[in-house]
Amino acid sequence: MATSKAKSRRSTITGISVVTVIGIFVLYPIFFLLQAALKEGDGTIEGSTGYGFGNFERLPSYSEIIWNTLQVSVVSTVIAIIVGFLIAYILTRTNVPYRRGLQQLMAVPYYVTPLLGALAWGLLGEEHSGYINILWRALGGEGAIINITSPMGIAWVMALFEGSVAFVMISAVMQSIDPSLEEASQVIGASRFNTMMRVTLPLVMPGVLGALVYVFAEMLGSFSAALVLGTPNRFYVLTTAIFLMITQYPPRIPLAAAMGVVLFAVMFLMTYLYRRMIAGRSYVTVSGKAFRPRPVDVGALRWVYLGLVCAYIFMAVVLPLLTLLYASLQQLATAVPSWTNFTLHHYEVALSQNAVRFAIRNSLELGVITATLGVALTGTISWLLHRTKLPGRGALEYMSMFPQAVPRLVFAFGIMWAWLVIPVPVYGTIWLLLIAYLTVFLPLGVRTISGVLLQLDKTLDECGQVCGANWFQRLRTINIPLLRPGIMAAWMLLFIGSVRELGASILLVGPKSQVLTPAIVDAWTYSSSEVTAAMALIQTAVVGTVIAIFMMLMRRSELKG
Amino acid sequence: MQMQAQPQDKQTAAEMAIEVRDLHIHYGDVPAVGPVSFSVPKGQQLTLLGPSGCGKSTTLRAVAGLEKPVAGVINIGNRKMYSSEENVNVPAEDRGLSMVFQSYAIWPHMTVYDNVAFGLKVRRKSRKEIDEGVKRALALVQMEAFASRPASQLSGGQQQRVALARACAFSPDVLLFDEPLSNLDAKLRSDMRIELRELQHNLGVTSIYVTHDLEEALAMSDCIVVMNKGCIEQSGTPYEIYNYPRTAFVADFVGSSNLISGQVREDLSSEDEIVIETTGGELVYGNPCGRKVGREATLSARTVHLQLHTQRPEGNRNVWPVTITRSVFLGDLSEIHISWSGRTLIIRRSALDQMDEGQQVFLSVDPKRCVLLEDTPIT
Repeated sequence: MATSKAKSRRSTITGISVVTVIGIFVLYPIFFLLQAALKEGDGTIEGSTGYGFGNFERLPSYSEIIWNTLQVSVVSTVIAIIVGFLIAYILTRTNVPYRRGLQQLMAVPYYVTPLLGALAWGLLGEEHSGYINILWRALGGEGAIINITSPMGIAWVMALFEGSVAFVMISAVMQSIDPSLEEASQVIGASRFNTMMRVTLPLVMPGVLGALVYVFAEMLGSFSAALVLGTPNRFYVLTTAIFLMITQYPPRIPLAAAMGVVLFAVMFLMTYLYRRMIAGRSYVTVSGKAFRPRPVDVGALRWVYLGLVCAYIFMAVVLPLLTLLYASLQQLATAVPSWTNFTLHHYEVALSQNAVRFAIRNSLELGVITATLGVALTGTISWLLHRTKLPGRGALEYMSMFPQAVPRLVFAFGIMWAWLVIPVPVYGTIWLLLIAYLTVFLPLGVRTISGVLLQLDKTLDECGQVCGANWFQRLRTINIPLLRPGIMAAWMLLFIGSVRELGASILLVGPKSQVLTPAIVDAWTYSSSEVTAAMALIQTAVVGTVIAIFMMLMRRSELKG
Repeated sequence: MQMQAQPQDKQTAAEMAIEVRDLHIHYGDVPAVGPVSFSVPKGQQLTLLGPSGCGKSTTLRAVAGLEKPVAGVINIGNRKMYSSEENVNVPAEDRGLSMVFQSYAIWPHMTVYDNVAFGLKVRRKSRKEIDEGVKRALALVQMEAFASRPASQLSGGQQQRVALARACAFSPDVLLFDEPLSNLDAKLRSDMRIELRELQHNLGVTSIYVTHDLEEALAMSDCIVVMNKGCIEQSGTPYEIYNYPRTAFVADFVGSSNLISGQVREDLSSEDEIVIETTGGELVYGNPCGRKVGREATLSARTVHLQLHTQRPEGNRNVWPVTITRSVFLGDLSEIHISWSGRTLIIRRSALDQMDEGQQVFLSVDPKRCVLLEDTPIT
């Protein structure tokens, strides 16, 4: 029988080892990033002349890139928050028709991803050959009605897809407001407008500010829209500039690292601010009592609201997918369709290329392995965080949330250096990608599983313990079945996330470890937009199929069990 | 019960099913409970009674093995479950006891049958034994008809019964109850109270029951331990606890009391009678219950033990003319406030004669019912 001392020593050892492993995964690449940024010299590893702040001193000469980044990030954040706030208000506080269904649909833009959106909007809104502009000129207009490759165009595409993130965050806040707080104000005699200004807004404000900071941090680190739409015109933001400096010849590694450090520092600050904000706000909105959200009757205005929400979903989901579908089926994609022009040729091309087939297989394999290992890892971490009194829990939580604050591209850069120097042959293989995915998706997995775990009454487990079930029996018969929705959700999110991952993958792929998303970007740069569209849709279809199979298996096991 | 862990326990350990000695529990670095010592004879029910936050649930969880104390000893039967000195801490699953949780903790992903069968399954019983055990346990709580029902489709009262059946199914020697009735409505609660008591008797199981409800504690226990701020205030039979409270806290928590303080008149007091003089100059005769008498003393008189009369009653002791300041009708009882010796006393009475505010009446109280408290006066 285990004595208490041995047991507590064992738990201390477990705690320290888990914290250490996660620490190595998370902090070790950051250490290499910092080291590279502080290296003086001509930029090659051999030509290094010691350490200093020279790279940072040279950054001001890139003020144009910093200005670009700020411009795009600020504009897209403002648009995303306005869109998110409006739709959150419409769908949580008014009696707009089909609220339930629309709320579900609002998650879809997140799955469409900014990359697909950027490709589709690139086809739609390019200054000269964009379908919208061609149609405009065909209708007798002059010049271009939109230019998606301009900074404002890029910001628009980014905002469109981050808007759904802002929606999820803000609507959660709006739903958590007890309607009786507003009713109290009305009963005392305040008008509806006064109630809105004096009660509702102050209650929602911390949540909106939190979403603002979070979205801004995401925008600073976002990569795909700027890469697809900005790079061809030599318009760079920090992430794409870093990518260029690493991949161009000769590479300017230390300078890229310095830029990465600056970006990381700003994002880290933002994430810290965000966490501070949401930590202090709970007392305002959360009341222990259950309440039903009380929708306001807005009369005929609700059809206008319905139109607004549908327009958003149309622009973020329907239009991009239709555009890609259309382009992929055309011999040479133009705005005006003709029957002779339709072809499946591009799908044949895409699927017949060995590289693409190879990339699809790698992506799927990686997705399954990442999701499975990731669920085990993040499940363990969540359990240690919320169900044990493990020493070092604070550090563990902090570290598992840490990758949230690092742009994926910058993280991948650190990972690349870190694993280059280690005499384990993972560099250039899909295993390096696996390590990168497991690290960058740590916050996603921990957050998803913790969310479900925190809702589970602790006594459900304790009762099993008192009934005589040991740790493993309880895991099998009680905890895993009860946590299954969370585990499944985390598995899906990790799978989708890793199959779609671009920022980290694009730096870490090698000739033998190509994956699908970077291949799509390559196709956009080097081959035709029609083939690119076909590849993007193939990816969507593959992910969709896996999700559908997964859901079916889940439902069947649910019926059985 | 044949073997004793330590020779000095020879007399108690032979009959005690549960023994807790000098238990201390901390939350982080904050002391939450301690020192707490009590023991439960085999087949009896002990109740930990106290306000929320007094450490009663924490103490129970420590007995179950769900909370790790920092010091003390917990013995169940003749097994040492926890000992800080000997570094023993048996995990909850190996303690062989059972518990009913306040939240019921019914596993929503299982049927009623699977919930009840759980304890038998993890003990690797045969299919036949499991089936018999579950049937017997469900019959005990009259839930046989619900065996195949998913547990998520039960009402609160049904969940409570299933939780009970699950706790009894594997015939544990010790049952722990953590406020099992507090989530039920008042009517159901008083029915279940009696059922639980009968069940506990029929099974002959030793149990510890945690509650903040006085009636529950009085109705169900062989012994009550009143806790406050992590420590034991008093322990004894329900009769002792109710009639002879030891401290002002117990007097007040266990049914409402009027506390009367004053100087002890040693000239009038004797071995089995104590007389105090209040600041208002009234002489009050009380029952010292064999307790130590100091220079000042506080007497506790239950609100139902104070009598009101329209005519002056016989005798001179503990009789005063008073004026009614407020009368509140509560249904079973009326609550009457009177002004006495410069302060307010509260009386609860069920008499039919109505008494109105402002009416002049006589107050009397049996000296045997004015119990001397041990702690320092608070009024």
